[in-house]
Amino acid sequence: MKPALIISAGTCGLARGAGEIVKAAQDYQSKRRLQQKFDIIITGCHGFCEAETNVVVHVDGKQIFYQKLRPENVKDVIEKTLLREEIINNFLWSDPKTQQVYVYIDDIPFYRKQKRILLGNNLHVKPECIEDYVKLGGYSALNKALKEYQPKRVINLIKESGLRGRGGAGFPTGKKWELCRKMKSSVKYIVCNADEGDPGAYMDRSLLEGNPHSVIEGMIIGAYAIGAREGIIYVRNEYPLAVKNIEIAIKQARKRGLLGENILGSKFSFDITIVRGAGAFVCGEETALLISIEGRVGRPRPRPPYPVEKGLWGKPTNINNVETWANIPAIILRGAQWFSSIGTEGSKGTKIFSLVGKINNTGLVEVPMGITLREIIYDIGGGIPAGKKFKAVQTGGPSGGCIPSELLDLPIDYESLTEAGSMMGSGGMIVMDEDTCMVDVARYFLNFTQQESCGKCPPCRLGTKDMVQILNRISRGEGREGDIELLENIGGNVKRGSLCGLGQTAPHPVLTTIKYFRDEYLAHIKEQRCPALVCTALISYVIDPELCGGCTICAKNCPSNAISGEPKKVYAIDQAKCIKCGICVSVCPDKFRAVKKVSPALT
Amino acid sequence: MIELMIDGKKVTAQKGETVLKVAQRYNIYIPTLCYHKDLSPYGGCRLCIVEVEGWPLPVASCTLPAQEGLKVKTDTPLLKDLRRFTLQLILSEHPHACLICDRKEDCAHYMECIQKAPITFGCKFCPSNNDCELQTLVDYLEIKDIPFDFHYRSLMVERYDPFFERDYNLCILCGRCVRMCQEVRGAATLDFHHRGPDTLVGTAFRLPHLETGCQFCGACVDVCPTGALRERYGKWQAKSEKSVRATCALCNIGCSINLNIDSEGKLVSSTPDNNQICVRGRFGIVPMVYHARRLTRPLMKKDNRLVEVEWEEALSYVASKLDEHRGKTGLLFGSHMTIEALESLYRLADDLRCSIAAPLDIDGKGEPLKLEEFKDESVFLVVNTDMIRDFSPLLLMLRMQSKIQSTIIVIDSLENKFTNMADLWLQPKPGKEFETVSLLFGRGKKRNTTGISHETLERCKDILKKRNVYVLYNPAHSRRIDVPKSVRTLPLYSSINTLKICELGTDGSVDDILKKKTIDCLYAIGVLPRLQKGYKTVIVQNCFPPPFEFDVFLPTVTFVETRGSVINIEGKVKKVRRAIDPVGKSKPDDWIFQRMSEILKYDIKRRRPRQRKKKLSRVFEDMGTSKKYPVNLLVRENCYMYQGHPLSSLMKGFQRLRDDTALWISVDVAKKLRIKDNMHVRVISRNINLELHARVSDNLPENSVLIYNHPFLGVDQNQAVRIECITKETR
Repeated sequence: MKPALIISAGTCGLARGAGEIVKAAQDYQSKRRLQQKFDIIITGCHGFCEAETNVVVHVDGKQIFYQKLRPENVKDVIEKTLLREEIINNFLWSDPKTQQVYVYIDDIPFYRKQKRILLGNNLHVKPECIEDYVKLGGYSALNKALKEYQPKRVINLIKESGLRGRGGAGFPTGKKWELCRKMKSSVKYIVCNADEGDPGAYMDRSLLEGNPHSVIEGMIIGAYAIGAREGIIYVRNEYPLAVKNIEIAIKQARKRGLLGENILGSKFSFDITIVRGAGAFVCGEETALLISIEGRVGRPRPRPPYPVEKGLWGKPTNINNVETWANIPAIILRGAQWFSSIGTEGSKGTKIFSLVGKINNTGLVEVPMGITLREIIYDIGGGIPAGKKFKAVQTGGPSGGCIPSELLDLPIDYESLTEAGSMMGSGGMIVMDEDTCMVDVARYFLNFTQQESCGKCPPCRLGTKDMVQILNRISRGEGREGDIELLENIGGNVKRGSLCGLGQTAPHPVLTTIKYFRDEYLAHIKEQRCPALVCTALISYVIDPELCGGCTICAKNCPSNAISGEPKKVYAIDQAKCIKCGICVSVCPDKFRAVKKVSPALT
Repeated sequence: MIELMIDGKKVTAQKGETVLKVAQRYNIYIPTLCYHKDLSPYGGCRLCIVEVEGWPLPVASCTLPAQEGLKVKTDTPLLKDLRRFTLQLILSEHPHACLICDRKEDCAHYMECIQKAPITFGCKFCPSNNDCELQTLVDYLEIKDIPFDFHYRSLMVERYDPFFERDYNLCILCGRCVRMCQEVRGAATLDFHHRGPDTLVGTAFRLPHLETGCQFCGACVDVCPTGALRERYGKWQAKSEKSVRATCALCNIGCSINLNIDSEGKLVSSTPDNNQICVRGRFGIVPMVYHARRLTRPLMKKDNRLVEVEWEEALSYVASKLDEHRGKTGLLFGSHMTIEALESLYRLADDLRCSIAAPLDIDGKGEPLKLEEFKDESVFLVVNTDMIRDFSPLLLMLRMQSKIQSTIIVIDSLENKFTNMADLWLQPKPGKEFETVSLLFGRGKKRNTTGISHETLERCKDILKKRNVYVLYNPAHSRRIDVPKSVRTLPLYSSINTLKICELGTDGSVDDILKKKTIDCLYAIGVLPRLQKGYKTVIVQNCFPPPFEFDVFLPTVTFVETRGSVINIEGKVKKVRRAIDPVGKSKPDDWIFQRMSEILKYDIKRRRPRQRKKKLSRVFEDMGTSKKYPVNLLVRENCYMYQGHPLSSLMKGFQRLRDDTALWISVDVAKKLRIKDNMHVRVISRNINLELHARVSDNLPENSVLIYNHPFLGVDQNQAVRIECITKETR
C-alpha cells in the first residue's frame, strides 16, 4: 500500500474541522503534484471522539496516529511524517493520566483493548467506494451464502452464532428470521432500523456513514434467508451524511448486480429503498417505525401480532438494527463457531458502546460481551477527568438505568444489565462523576422520554408526566414525605402498564437512581440538600473569606450586583440578590478559587 | 377452531378473533374505554389488559389474537391495580371532582340548576352526566381518590360549528372519534395532533369543522365515551328514557334511526341504529319537530284575516270547497307522507276528479336499487351528484358491499367533497356532463367539446374496460343517459316514496297543473309551488307556513308523530313510528284525508286508484350562453328539504352548512360584477327573473352561477342567464 493520509471525516469529525484538513491536504498534494507519492483517504469516523480531528498516517506498513490536528498542521504532517517518516511528537496522543505518549494506533489503550470487528473497517474503507469494501473481502459473504448455502442453512448459522438483536431487546436474530421465513406470504419485507434516537448514542450513524456496504450486505443475506424481495432502511433525516452514503452505496451495489434482479447470477432478487424518519424518538419502536413507513403518524400498536406475523402493509416483516445487520457478513464469512467463541454464555459477539460523559477518552468502543464496566471505563475510557470520582454510568440511553460504582465489575451482557435494573439498549453509556446529582439526572432523562412519548396510552403519557412533576418539586426542595414511594409506585405501574417499549422502560432512570442512590433523594426531600451541589434551588454561592483575594473580578461580572466589598478586602455575596447564575465561580481566578457552592441553600 | 382458557374456563374462538371478543361472547367482563365494536382495535386505553401465563407483562386483550392453548386471566390483583392506576391517571386530566365525591349520590338531588354552567368541571355540570363511560368505570374499579395532581387543559370550548360542540378538556384521547371518522366514514376530518402530554384530538391546523371535510354526520359524537363531543340541540335537556326504532324519512335512503324520548314523552335526539346516517337524520329531526315557526293549529281566512279554528270547521270548509271545485282542483303533493296516506290521497283525488301531481320526474319502471347486485370489480360512474352530501349512507353501503374492488369515477363540473374523494374526477365544462358520459361509451357526437382532455377520457375508458359499470345519476339533473345496454343506469331519486309515486303515476307535472287555466282551487300538501295565476281557493296542508297567501291551513305532523310505512330507494318498505304525540293540534295526513272523505261521504277505503301517467320527464334544453345571457346557471336539486321547505330555511345549522337559498357565484363572475357575499342580485333569463342574495364560491367552474333548486323558485334546469347586481346592502 502506498503511503496514505487517512482522515476521519464522520459527521462529528467534520464538525470539528475535518473538512478543512481534507481541503488543506488536497491543496498541498495538488500544488506539489504529489499524487503519485501518497493517497488521501477520507473515511468515516475512527471512533475516538476525544482525539478528533485525527488522522492516521499510513507509512511503511505502520499506522501513526495524530490527534487534534488543525489545517495549518497538515503541511508538517505530510512533509515530515508522510514523506520523511519523521514523527511529530506534538500531535501524538498522550494518556492524560500517565502522560505516556503513543505513536502507533494499535498501541493506544483506547484501541488496543477493543475488539473492532465492525468498526475496524471504518479505518480502511472510503464509504463511497465499493471497491475498498470488496478489497477487504466485502460481498464475499453474500457470494458464499448465495452459492453455497440454502436459506435454511443461513438461518441455522445465525442461530448457532448466538447473535442477538443489537437494538436493545436482544431477541435472538436467527430465531426471528426463522419465524419470518415460516410465515406463509408471497410478500415479505425486511427493515433496517436506523432510527437512532437515544441522546448520546451514535454507533449506527458511524456504521452507516463509515461502512454502509456492510449493512447492505447483511440485509441482502437476511433477505435471502427470509425470502424477502424488498428491504427498507429507515434512517433519521438528522443523519444527512449517513443518508447520502447509503444512497451512494445502494446505487453502486445495484450497478454491480448486488441489488436488483438475479443477484450475482442467482435466482434471488432483492432491492433496498431508503425511508427517512422525521426524528421522533418513538419511531425507533418497531411498530411505530412500520406505521411511519406507511406514511402515518408514528404511534406504536400493541404486540402481538408481532411484525414477523403482521408488519409493514400487513405483511410479515423482519426488523433488525443497523449493528445486527452489520454483524451478518462476518458471521457468514468466519463461521458461527468463531462468533460464538466471543462473549458470554448468553450474549455472543461484540457490542459497540458510545462512551460519553465525564470520561477522558470519549468515543465509540467495540468490546466483546462480558467485559466489565471497569475495563471499559478505566482501561479503554481512561477514567474520569480532573481527578474526580466515578459515581455512576447510565447504560441504554434515556430508557436505561444508572449503574453505581459497586457494580463496576459487572460483566456486561443483556441479562446482567437487566438484572441491575438497566438495559443494553442501543448501547449508550453515559459516565457520571461525583459532581452529578442523581435526582437531576433522573429528571433530565425522564423529561426527555416524557416529551417523546407518543401520547397514545395513559400510563406513559400521564404517568411519566406525573413523575417529572414530582422530580421537579424534589429538585426545587419541595419534596414531600412519601414522594419516593410514590415515584416507585408510579414507575412500577408505568413499566407494567404501558403499551410499548418506550413506556415500559421510561421509569428506569428514576427507579435505578432510587435503588442505588436513595440517600440523595432523602437528602433532597428531608434536608433540602443537594449533595452534588447541582439543583439550583438547593444551593447557595458563598465566598470563602480565607481564600478571597479581593480582586473585584466577581463583583464586576455579577449580573445582579449581588457581590459587594472593597478592593483588596474580602468580598461577600448577598443571598437575597443572588440569582445563582454561577458566573462568579467561573470568573474567580484559579489562584484563589474562593467562590464555593453550599447546600442546603442559605436564606 | 381455537381452544384457550379464560379465567380457568375452557373457551373456543374463531381464527382471528381477539381475546376480548371471545371473553365478551362468554360474558366475561373486561373493562374497556377505547374499544368500540364498529372500530378497529386500538390498544390505547390499557384498561382491557389481561395476564397471559408465561408472558412477562400484561397485554391488551382487544388486540390480542386468540391463540391455541393461551391461558388468560382477566381479573387478578395486579390487573385491578394497573387498571385503577390507569383510570386514575386518565382522571387526573379529566374533571373528576364529582366522580370521586363521597356524597355524589345525594348531590344529584340538590344541584340541578347548576347544570347550565358554561364550563364543565364536574359531572354535575356535564351534558353527559349519567351517560358517561368513565362514571361506570369509576364505580366498577371502586376509585375513591386520585393521588395525582389535577391537570385541567384550559382549552376553549369549541362552539363555533353547527350541530355539535367540542370540549377537549374532557377528552381522554381514546381515539374512537378519530377512528370512526377515518375508518367508517372515510372523512378523516379528525386526527391526533401534537404528541406526548400535549396530544389532542382535532382537525388539521385546528380549523373549524365547517372548513374541513366534516360531513356533520355526528358519528364521532355518538362514539365519544365522555362529554367531550356533544350535540348542541338538547345538550341540557333531560336524559332519554326510552328509544323508539323508526325510519328517517328526510331522504330516499330511509335510514333506521332511534328516536330517543325523555320521561315526559318529549323527543330528545335521533341517533343511528347500529348504522350510519347523515346530518339530516342525526341533527335535523328534533329541531324541526319543535320548530318555533311550526304551525300546529288549523287556520282559516275570515274577513281577510287568518284566525285559528277547530279541525271540524276547517275540514268542512275544505270539503265544501273541494266539492264545489270538483274537476277544477289542482292537487299538488310531496312525497313526505306515509304510503297509507298517499293511497288515501289518490282515492280522494279520484273521487273529486282532481288533477294530481308531485314535484318529481318519474319513470314508470321505478326500479329499486339493489345493493346485493353489485359485484366486486365494479365501477360506479356518478354524474352530477354529490353523493357525500346527498346520499352518504348509501355511499358507505356501496363501499361496504363491494369492498373488494370498487372504483368511483365522478363526472361533475362542480367541485365538492365527493369529487375530491373520488378515485377519478372528470370536470367537464358546465352542462357537458352527459356529453362526457356519451363520449366515454363512444356514443353521440364525435367532437369533444367537454373540455376534458383526450388522454383523461382514454384513461377513464381503460378503467371501465372489463368491469361492471354502473351509472348513478340524479334524475332531477339529467336528460336521458346514452349508454350501451351492458351498462346499468341507476337513478338516485332523492325523496322517499318515489318508487310508490312511480307506481301510482300522476296527471302531469306540477308546472302543467299550475299553468292549467281551468283550475280554480289549489290544494298544496307538503309542497310550495311558485304560483303563476290567482285561484279562488288555496288550501295548504303543511307543518310550516307557505310563502304565499292561502285560505285554509291544515297543520300536519312530521314522520315521528305518525304510524305507517315508507318505501325507500332499495324498494324496502320501512316503518315510521309514532314516537311522540302530535305537536299541538296537528294531525297525520291520512287522518285528514279519512276525515275529509267522511265529510264528503265517500268510502275511500273501498276503491283502487285509477291508472295515471307513469312516465314524466322534463325536456332539458341546451343552455348555450349568448351575448344577452352570458353566464351559465347550474341548477342542482336541493336534497335537504322537508315538505317543500329547504332545511336551511328552517334551521340555522343547515344554513351554515350550506346556504341553499343563495345564488352561488363563481369567483371570476363575482370579480367581474364586483359582487360580494350577501349582496342582492337579480338572475334573469328567458324564463326567470329572480332576486337572491349572493355567495361567492371557488368550487364553481368559470363563468357560472349555481342555484339549489327549490320549487318555489321555479328554476328546474340549467340555462343561460344574466346577473345584475341590485343592491350593496348586506342581509
